[in-house]
Amino acid sequence: MSAAAAESEPMPAAPVAPSRLALRLLFYLALQALVVLGCLGLVALPRPEPPPRWQLTEARLEPPGVTVGLPHRHDASFTMADPPRYVLAFERPPGLPDEPWSVLLPRFTNGVTVAVDGVEILDSRRNPAANRPDRSSPEIVVIPASLLREGRNELTVRLFVWGPLTGFLDGIYVGPDAVLRPAYDQRVLLFLTLPVILAAWQGILAVILGMIWLMRRHEPEYGALAASMAIGVMQAFIVAPSGQSFYAGLNAVLIASAPLQSAFGVLFLLLVLGLKAPRFTTLLFLPGLIITVTGLFGGPGAVRAVYLALGPPTVAFCLVLIAVLIALAYLQRRDAISLVRGSAITVVLFFCVHYILSILDIAPDHRLFLARLSCSAMLIAIGIGLTWRFVRALNEVDSFAGRMVTLVREAEDKLRATLSWDEERARAMALAAERTRLMRDLHDGLGGQLVSIVALSERQQAAPIGEAARAALKDLRLVIDAMDDIGGDLMLALGAWRERIAAQLRAHHIEIAWRVLTPQGLPLHPELRPGHVIQILRLLDEAVTNAVKHSGARTITVEIETVAAADGHRGRISVRDDGRGFDAQAGGPAPLLAGRGLANMRRRAERCGAQLAIVSGPEGTRVTLDLPGRFADLEAPGG
Amino acid sequence: MIQVLLVEDDAPTRWRLQDALGATGEFAVTAAATIVEARTRLSEATPRVLLTDMQLPDGHGLDLIRETRQRHPETEIMVISILGDEESVIAAIRQGATGYLLKDAFPTDIAATVRDLVAGHSPISASIARFIVRRTQAQPAAALAPQGLNTARLTPREIDILWGIAKGFSYADIAGHLGLSRQTVPGHIKNIYRKLEVNTRGEAVFEALQQGLIRL
Repeated sequence: MSAAAAESEPMPAAPVAPSRLALRLLFYLALQALVVLGCLGLVALPRPEPPPRWQLTEARLEPPGVTVGLPHRHDASFTMADPPRYVLAFERPPGLPDEPWSVLLPRFTNGVTVAVDGVEILDSRRNPAANRPDRSSPEIVVIPASLLREGRNELTVRLFVWGPLTGFLDGIYVGPDAVLRPAYDQRVLLFLTLPVILAAWQGILAVILGMIWLMRRHEPEYGALAASMAIGVMQAFIVAPSGQSFYAGLNAVLIASAPLQSAFGVLFLLLVLGLKAPRFTTLLFLPGLIITVTGLFGGPGAVRAVYLALGPPTVAFCLVLIAVLIALAYLQRRDAISLVRGSAITVVLFFCVHYILSILDIAPDHRLFLARLSCSAMLIAIGIGLTWRFVRALNEVDSFAGRMVTLVREAEDKLRATLSWDEERARAMALAAERTRLMRDLHDGLGGQLVSIVALSERQQAAPIGEAARAALKDLRLVIDAMDDIGGDLMLALGAWRERIAAQLRAHHIEIAWRVLTPQGLPLHPELRPGHVIQILRLLDEAVTNAVKHSGARTITVEIETVAAADGHRGRISVRDDGRGFDAQAGGPAPLLAGRGLANMRRRAERCGAQLAIVSGPEGTRVTLDLPGRFADLEAPGG
Repeated sequence: MIQVLLVEDDAPTRWRLQDALGATGEFAVTAAATIVEARTRLSEATPRVLLTDMQLPDGHGLDLIRETRQRHPETEIMVISILGDEESVIAAIRQGATGYLLKDAFPTDIAATVRDLVAGHSPISASIARFIVRRTQAQPAAALAPQGLNTARLTPREIDILWGIAKGFSYADIAGHLGLSRQTVPGHIKNIYRKLEVNTRGEAVFEALQQGLIRL
């Protein structure tokens, strides 16, 4: 049996078999592959674009004065002073209704000015959102009606580029504003509004998590995540126009947010996994700080150089580190939360790789940068998870507190019961000791003398004296007996009483019939005290003595039973004789004696709260004692 | 004739008991007032029954009971008690007595009780039975008490019988409740007495062991 029990014991410390570990890894990687597939599907979704009929796909690039196709990637990484010009031509067919026309630039890096027939109608550099290369901002501008001629028009787009990106100009649409605007609106919603919403959300979570961290300093993972989010929020909302050197520096500082954020991400993961953060974790913050310092004090060129050298490698290292840590955590714990985190980091990694491929012009796409967006989404997901964990912990604390309250109450009750039990016990022991002392005293003194009186009276034929002495002895025994702790079971007192009565009746040649009509006899009365017992036994004694002395009965029947009452069960004791009955007796001292005895009996019954009924007739007397549901407190115990 | 040795220092009581037994013609009663006298009588002849008081001028009746139990195992021993209290009766039982006699009992009852004892029927009162069963319930405390009573060897059936007696049920009622034959009840009671007796070194060790185990 013990061997079986040992076998069924779980062995948490046992190492996982390598084959099972490999299986787990395979499962994890397969899931991440699925996630990557999903991301690929997301990227492949069609972008919001107006009908291709209005698209311009050819431009003359000056310098160097060659014809290029749009979208076009320009090699330059800095063209603020002498930007390249794309000259395009479009036709406005004659006879069209008089509706406004617009120019839509779905995507460009980093800034454009648009001129129609030599008149500038748009400078994107004045729009701070458009200056953020990570925002994928579109631009739309209505061509003033006075500029727009029927037939051929010339469109000139100058492309400004500042690092670290190279120039990019997507296909340009020119056409009725009503046709172009829906696509623009959709792009604004996707690439401008959505990030702002997510950033706002991130900001709120950052505040909540920050507050949790402030109140619970021993859980620094909340602080790490809040810091990571706060930096993201700053990056999203602080905007600076480009051009001047100081603001360019500020922009560079904002770019430094990515390495800082990813370093905080690593810290958070280490903390939340309960791993001891190694020394090098601090080093992860170094690149971000260096970029920031350079941005604040160095020129734009220096920032660019430092950022390119430190930023992307740090971010990449942190993200890969996070991915590996999560994968290891999953292999070890096989928990759902690791799977979720792993999938989230895979999404972020995917979009970062996509971003880098896009910048390096390796992947053919339209420079729609989603890495930031995915990062926001992931942080929010983790933040929600963390908040949920916190709330659940609060709930657990609540239920734990509830359980503790119950436990404490139970313990209190138990203690109280023990105390009262102890008190009860001490009282019973004191009573028993007192009884023993009394018994010994009576035994040595009064009892022995009474016995001598009985013996002497028998020898001298002084029967009444002997009887009185014997009655005194009987009462002595009654008193001592009543003092015994019977645990509320009146049956135990009646058992001893039966013996005394039987001996008394035997001397008078009267039969005793003892009938217990219900199996348990009488109900238990924990409140029963020696005082009650003595009252009841003397009452019954009186009933028997009356029958012996006055009725001339041959048999006395004692019946004990439990009867159903309105409020539970009640005990009933009755003493019945087959004698004359005292009502039938005429004259003589008997009724008087009986009358005094009856008054005594009534008084005793009253003291206990019991009901006494006496019926007497020619066929005998019946004394019925109905015990109370609860014995009344005695003002004078034993009286 | 049944040989009875009666040890009682109070002369009226001694006469009374002697008369009550002698009147039947069944008993040959020898009386003694002290332990020394009783020892002399015991060395002369082995009585069938020993009736002894507890408080004697030159010692305690318990010593006499122990000695008699060891030297004359066939002798039935009864303690003479004034109140029939457990203080004296249980102490006597532990030394080997198998019954008790009330000093003021009616003469016919006195003779009947001794006759029953010789026939193998040990009388047991409701209060004694109550005392014993209460000890079976509160074992650890009882084991520590000076009047320690080893009830560990009593069988559940014997305890049931004691409960019945304590509550005033007749032997017939008890036998009916427990599914026994009426005649076997006295035998059970005698067994109970024997189990409660501590009169050999081995049993004393056994009792100590029992109590030690209980305390553990």
